[in-house]
Amino acid sequence: MTTLERPSVADDTGPAPRPGGIGASVPRKEDDRLLRGDGRFTDDVEPARVLHMAVARCPYPHARIVRVDATAARALDGVKHVLTGPDVRAATEPLTVLRPVPGAPQLPYYALAQDVATHEGQPVVSVVATSRHVAEDALELLDIEYEPLPHVVDVLAALEPGAPVLHPSVLDSNLMAANSDGSGDPEARMREAALVVEDQFRINRVTALPMETRAVVAEWRPGARELTVHASTQVPHLIRKQLAASLRLQESDVRAVASDVGGGFGLKLGVFPEDVLACLHAMALRRPVKWVEDRAEHFRASTHARESVHDFRIAADADGRIMAMTDVYATDMGGWNSPFGSAQLSSVVMNGPYRVEHGYAERRVTLTNKTPIGAYRGYGQPEVNFAYELLMDRLARRLDLDPVELRAMNMVKAADLPWKNPTGAVYDSGDYEKCLRMAAEAIGWDAHRAAGRTPRADGRLMGIGFSSFVERTGYASARFLARRGSQFGAHESVTLRANRSGGLDLYTGVSTMGQSSETAFAQVISDVFGIDYDAVRVHAGDTGASPLNTGAFASRTMIAAAGALKAASEELAEKTLRLAAWRLESDAALLEITGSVVRRRDDETVQVSLAEVFTSAITGQGIPPGEEPGMESTSHFEPSDAAYSFGTAAALVSVDPGTGEFTVERFVLVHDAGTVVNQKIVDGQVRGALAQGFGAALTEELRYDPDTGQLVNGSMVDYFVPTAADLPPIELLHTSVPSPVTTFGLRGVGEAGTIPPGAAVANGICDALADFGVELNTLPITAESIWRALSRRAVQDDHEGTLAPTPGDLPDGGTGY
Amino acid sequence: MTGLAPDVQREELVETTTTVNGEPITVAVPPRLHVADFLRQHLGLTGTHVGCEQGACGMCTVVVDGEAVKSCLMFAVQLDGRNVQTVESLAEDDQLNPLQQAFKDEHALQCGFCSPGFLMTATALANQGGCPSREEIREEIAGVLCRCTGYENIVTAIERWFAESPQRAVDDDATGLTTPTGPSTTGRRR
Repeated sequence: MTTLERPSVADDTGPAPRPGGIGASVPRKEDDRLLRGDGRFTDDVEPARVLHMAVARCPYPHARIVRVDATAARALDGVKHVLTGPDVRAATEPLTVLRPVPGAPQLPYYALAQDVATHEGQPVVSVVATSRHVAEDALELLDIEYEPLPHVVDVLAALEPGAPVLHPSVLDSNLMAANSDGSGDPEARMREAALVVEDQFRINRVTALPMETRAVVAEWRPGARELTVHASTQVPHLIRKQLAASLRLQESDVRAVASDVGGGFGLKLGVFPEDVLACLHAMALRRPVKWVEDRAEHFRASTHARESVHDFRIAADADGRIMAMTDVYATDMGGWNSPFGSAQLSSVVMNGPYRVEHGYAERRVTLTNKTPIGAYRGYGQPEVNFAYELLMDRLARRLDLDPVELRAMNMVKAADLPWKNPTGAVYDSGDYEKCLRMAAEAIGWDAHRAAGRTPRADGRLMGIGFSSFVERTGYASARFLARRGSQFGAHESVTLRANRSGGLDLYTGVSTMGQSSETAFAQVISDVFGIDYDAVRVHAGDTGASPLNTGAFASRTMIAAAGALKAASEELAEKTLRLAAWRLESDAALLEITGSVVRRRDDETVQVSLAEVFTSAITGQGIPPGEEPGMESTSHFEPSDAAYSFGTAAALVSVDPGTGEFTVERFVLVHDAGTVVNQKIVDGQVRGALAQGFGAALTEELRYDPDTGQLVNGSMVDYFVPTAADLPPIELLHTSVPSPVTTFGLRGVGEAGTIPPGAAVANGICDALADFGVELNTLPITAESIWRALSRRAVQDDHEGTLAPTPGDLPDGGTGY
Repeated sequence: MTGLAPDVQREELVETTTTVNGEPITVAVPPRLHVADFLRQHLGLTGTHVGCEQGACGMCTVVVDGEAVKSCLMFAVQLDGRNVQTVESLAEDDQLNPLQQAFKDEHALQCGFCSPGFLMTATALANQGGCPSREEIREEIAGVLCRCTGYENIVTAIERWFAESPQRAVDDDATGLTTPTGPSTTGRRR
């Protein structure tokens, strides 16, 4: 078969995957260097005569900077350069935002605080010296006078009248913007409904906590007007644009390089103040400047995530059929608008996998005197899933229905897809109920339900909880992004170039941060082109050596890049076959590319090596008349729409009804990622995201003291990410429904696992303690929170008058998400 | 702390003699330099990573005299007279050693920033002798954090490495102390 006629969609019943191709589990391209200590993370870049930066940070949540005296710091032996707020204001433009909040004003935010700092950890002065030790010694010599200002750290309190306003020059309150979307008449359905379940759900503030902190190395050659910036980033081409804008340079003056990135998870999306500062110092000194964030800085000056308060309602008829859903939620922004701002997907997938015709979501983006909120794996989806899935179980209990049957009855049916949800998301394809049924069977739901609630020998009660979800992967389109002011596209771009050794070099702006894109990209090329997987080399993350792309985020890399990879591979395969046909004096239609050669399908002895064909193209010697020399293609691809992954998780928990202590005994996830390029990698992504989901659900919470506004647990010893000994046994099951909107039928896979752990575990606990009337509404779930819920079980929850008003009572909710 | 720059801040230096990956080294180091920075910045051994400088994340784990040590909690001057083994020593004849190969085969790494910490922790674990159970492995490696993998494949890789190393399973006396420069106790080669 020729490479051009390969069937593109692999599924369970299809042919076995080609070795190294789509569907094969191959050794990862990334592994050898990383296992041998030969990775090249940003801190590993050490130019000659490099200097080191340290940053003085505001110790208060909100303070006016009255005076900065750096005289003594400047005088310290080894100190080379000091920047203060006025220096930065004179030399730069404010930091730009990549994913603005629709309808919100731009906040004037410079790399160093101007007059007022709005969160603990905000940079105030930066110092460059011959070593980090000396630079930090110099920080001790700075004389900075602060005037502490009234602060607010609670997201709801920040919206109260009289709360201190963080950015009074552009806003009258801390509400940056309200964004609403919806369809139908949910208010009318609420009035007609047999039952409305509702609650206020508090989602904890957590952080992505990549093992590699942020880092930057900047070098400036004034004569060449070339700023080379090595950075730990998910988006080299986007930080190139942002740096140029802030530094008043042309984009062509900036080269951004991200080689190995030690985890991103959304945190490393865009330019941070320290990136600009390192560049400014390097440009002033004409010497390379390095800054590697320490972990104390990371907890206060990178970004946090998730914190939000959801007032969620579900209206249903007496049979449990959902009539309407509404979610009015305040989402924390922290002290300023980070490049990817607050999460937007709680609104997009507010109804999860359920068919809801009357729905309304309103997001109230709220400023508080805390570390800024940024993107984090899931980006609003775990938060809203916790709310609607807990209410689904409550609905089942109120109506005495089986929660599995209630979910099945309300899910969007496979035959009804594609389907547009109330907030405009178009669910592409899938079989949501199948995942639910598989999860119920795997966890032993029927036997559990039949057995009733008798305590185990140790006195613990057993419960099973479910969480069904959809996950948006990728973006609907560049048009969708344009309507929201986003500063990037929905496409990916690759350059594929042959070399004289007979291999293919792939150049991509997608940096390598653990998502295995080098491997997966090579698999697609191998599959489409027919070349050996080992003969494909991926060069990633250098804006000086890759086409201008979008970047690695939003579970979008593969679904967008696959199309570009396929197009580039097909173009080069066609040319390779034409050139080989000329050399073999054959018809191109009779030839195939396989491994390292082009050969006749009917006579394998007639063949020519790829090295020979590529060399002829590269030299232009021995190619047919009319052919252009060269063997290179740059291709771009934008999927026709976002692809929605989906699944159901089931958690078996045991709970001590006396103490609230609980254990997740088993956890099953049934998940659909469409066509799978590499099952091992997909499972790894799912497991890793589940671990982060369990952390956010059970152990992680960044706490601020309301009186002082200080982060009280901002260190690795006080903030508990799961260790190898902390995670429950996890069982993964899959379905594979190809998506119609992406090349090969892929769906994104990076974020799904973060979504269901909180809801599944909470529902399991509520199931176990159903006889006690325990309901949960807060993350993280702790023994203490369960014990408290047990203690107040006699008190009937009544939120009348305390939740946000229903949609009909609302003023115009502002522009959509 | 790039000690080579001509204008580097002068600090009182302390002469230290140590062995790193089998190579004897005598070097003058600042007293406040920790081992991770010493390995990375003075010896160019950048496979040892720094994650928290608080002894909590385990990124910087190396093997000192056969035992796993968080090198951000130890000063370089404390290396005097001791043997240090870093991730760079593991590969044999330009090939991954069996432990590294098990990590690769089992997809036990994603971004790879934590991998040296786990590899060196497992290497030291082997020096304790015996063949730990899966649960024991989980507890033993809990001092190293990974934010990518969810750990399952790391545990599997280490478990498999132990299972496939017959001499380790029977050699309970193996301490590694006599062979600090290479994983001679790491069983069969590929």
